[in-house]
Amino acid sequence: MYMVAFNGEFSQAASRAVQHHVRKCNGFTLMVMKTGIIAAFDDSLVPIVQSHPNVKLVGGVTLNPKGYAAERLQRIFSENLSKQLEVKGE
Amino acid sequence: MPNVGAELASVPFGKMIYDMASAIARSQVALDKASIELVKVLANTTFDYVPDVVETLLPNPRVINGPNGSPLLDSNQNPVTVTGVLVQTSVGDSFPLTLLQAGVNPTFYAFTNSTIEVKMSISSTQESSNTFSAGTSMTASADFLFASGSVSSHVNFTASNKYSYSVTGSSSMSTTLAPVPPPKNMMPRFFLVNAIDPTKITVSQS
Repeated sequence: MYMVAFNGEFSQAASRAVQHHVRKCNGFTLMVMKTGIIAAFDDSLVPIVQSHPNVKLVGGVTLNPKGYAAERLQRIFSENLSKQLEVKGE
Repeated sequence: MPNVGAELASVPFGKMIYDMASAIARSQVALDKASIELVKVLANTTFDYVPDVVETLLPNPRVINGPNGSPLLDSNQNPVTVTGVLVQTSVGDSFPLTLLQAGVNPTFYAFTNSTIEVKMSISSTQESSNTFSAGTSMTASADFLFASGSVSSHVNFTASNKYSYSVTGSSSMSTTLAPVPPPKNMMPRFFLVNAIDPTKITVSQS
């Protein structure tokens, strides 16, 4: 699981471009925020994701179960993941 | 004859170890910097967190209408009522929560094991051969007035020395990079102050 931080100010176009890029790398977007997205993709693809012009930083993250909203985040991640898996199966 | 020990001693182990350690140290610094940068991103990324949603079920009896639009009556000519339910929803005020507070932690990496392997193969062969041959031939002839004779001899000596020496070497370096828990000094502490009882302050760290 990686945090993919955007380069510069937030824009819908940049956010979508990064999400499409992750998708092309067979990755999944778990959560979208204004500063970046949390995505799941293969470790070997980090340099490729990093190479996108709208990406500032790619860093590995983990979910701390003791976090204030860990359970809710986990639910959000799984819901978003399930939607993308359904689309991929068509 | 070359000295195998001297060949082994000429391998720059010290430099190799220093170069590898130096490369690991530089890589570790770069990895730590990237992780610290990630801590900043996570600390500055907020989302609106709704702490609670309260749903209250309230009775909502209503009269059922018949096909003609008038109230449906039972056998006692009383209107038929059903116990409906009304869900009253109260959503708590949302507040911004950072990803760090929410439970997303950055991953730190550390080099756990490093190996330098040097393989060297030294082969040396020496081959010498000598051949020696010698011969003598004698001829003699006699005539009425003259007599003659000749003696010839030959010696062949061949000496050859073949010498070969080869050294082949290869070295490999491998290191293991493993994720480790965030160092405490690099992670922020969270102070939870209970406004109802300000003396109760909870300090936590990821």
